[in-house]
Amino acid sequence: MEIYLPIAEQSINVFLLLGLGGVAGLLAGMFGVGGGFLATPLLIFVGIPPAVAVASQANQVIANSVSSLQVQWRRGNVDLRMGLVLLLGGIFGSSVGVTLFTYLKRIGQIDFVIAVLYVVMLSAIGGLMSVESLRTYFRNKRHPETPRGKLHQHYMVHRLPWKMRFYKSKLYISALLPIGLGFVIGILSAILGVGGGFVLVPAMIYLLGMPTAVVIGTSNFQVLFVAANVTFLQSATNGTVDVVLALLLILGGVVGAPIGARIAAKMPGVALRGLMAVLILGVAAQLLVELLRAPYSPYSLGLREVLK
Amino acid sequence: MRRLALLVALWAVLLAAFLAAPAFAQGPRVDPGAPPSLPGPALEPSAPVVAPPDLVMDLSAARVSITSAFQGEKLLLFGMFDPPGEVVVVVSGPPARETVMRKERFLGLWLNTGRQGFDDVPAYYYIAASQPLQRLLARGTGGEILSLEDRMSTVRSVGQRESDELTRFRVGLVDVKRREGLFPADIGQVTIQANRLFRVDLPFPSRLPEGVYDVRAYLLRDGKIVAAVSRPLPVSKVGFNAQLAGWAGQEGALYGVGAILMALLVGWFGGAIVRRL
Repeated sequence: MEIYLPIAEQSINVFLLLGLGGVAGLLAGMFGVGGGFLATPLLIFVGIPPAVAVASQANQVIANSVSSLQVQWRRGNVDLRMGLVLLLGGIFGSSVGVTLFTYLKRIGQIDFVIAVLYVVMLSAIGGLMSVESLRTYFRNKRHPETPRGKLHQHYMVHRLPWKMRFYKSKLYISALLPIGLGFVIGILSAILGVGGGFVLVPAMIYLLGMPTAVVIGTSNFQVLFVAANVTFLQSATNGTVDVVLALLLILGGVVGAPIGARIAAKMPGVALRGLMAVLILGVAAQLLVELLRAPYSPYSLGLREVLK
Repeated sequence: MRRLALLVALWAVLLAAFLAAPAFAQGPRVDPGAPPSLPGPALEPSAPVVAPPDLVMDLSAARVSITSAFQGEKLLLFGMFDPPGEVVVVVSGPPARETVMRKERFLGLWLNTGRQGFDDVPAYYYIAASQPLQRLLARGTGGEILSLEDRMSTVRSVGQRESDELTRFRVGLVDVKRREGLFPADIGQVTIQANRLFRVDLPFPSRLPEGVYDVRAYLLRDGKIVAAVSRPLPVSKVGFNAQLAGWAGQEGALYGVGAILMALLVGWFGGAIVRRL
């Protein structure tokens, strides 16, 4: 069954979009991060213009995070104070990101920048995750009970000014750190149409040293508002949010997420992270091949302006 | 169980409210049926430009309506002429400035390095004739009837560039448009029956730019145009699609807020419902 998307201006199979949303939801449920990093490249791959794919995906991320935030909030897994500080940077970052996006779109380089950013980011994260999960796997094999060390590492960054106490995260760190992190995630979110959970979650654990329990909920909180900001700005400046496209992705995701959560509950954490690392590296490799392979035709059309 | 039913009901009501919202939010400013850029019913059905009795034509539909189920469309153009003669049909979409991008390999990666603008590129161009066009045009009709190649050689380039390069960009432009189905063929076939009836299928792809298309038929005798008729063919989104696109284009901020609310509601209630199943 085909449906015509009013903003993307093309017809596409409904079940393809529902399926894509379902896969994104499945990942969200399994790994606690939105599936945006997978869904956006796939949307572009099936022929949705990148500008529309990114903006509509941001819209989908809202639904995904609110649904997951509901559960996390009830369990008390949201560090509101940390979330708000992250959000401060996030709102700035996403606003800068949308401006950057508009500029890149005008000079015709947005597709390239999206692809390159995805390749760099996904291979970095996928690589780190696979190393980490392999290490954990072998360590667990040798000593099943690792003695608990310090709560978290202390780096140079912990000497930055404007220290704040984050009770829930048991942290006393500079506010600049989460603000900066939020800023970077905001830019990524605006340009790539992802919530940024897949960068934010590891960064919160390894960089900020937050306890794992509050990471997902706090990340959901920040992602929700950043995605809303991106959706609003993309819509107001570029008019590229396709709500029909977003709605189909959301409906797929709503069904996929609990299935993913159920799968995750039955799988050991190491295997889960290893699987996700493989998936991320796969998407990165696919995008890299696209960049390296000679295109079918070197010519493409940019903006079409009706002259008055 | 009662709570679940309540949730489902609430969800449905809110979703319905969202879907109906554009209609209310839009208010009286925008006529949902026809975006303001497009002429309304005043244009159709219009009188022929030249109205000699020896050539008449009509289309199987007065307009192309882009609905939610739109997957491209085939219109039938048919008519009658006084023999003898040959018929040429030209359909052209509204002209616009197109920017052609060219990718080149840079440090092993393919990225856009060149761009060239062209003014006055028709959104769609289809020419069909009852006889090979070269044969008809060789007798010196020329003038108004342009093959795709001739039409494209008239598009003006934006800025200066050496002519070899310009030609390559122009060929690239035609290639892309052809792949998208917007330049369906070099030359289509007009079928003549009973020596006075003619018909031709006009294929429109799903990625069809909106606007008022121009449909013309010419009657040629001995290589001369003896009669011509034309009519506008409006192509536009209709109903829900037109409403959403108009809203996104003119009330971007409001549309954004609507999109956010939709996502919040569906995410919140959808999640809550599915988790209980």
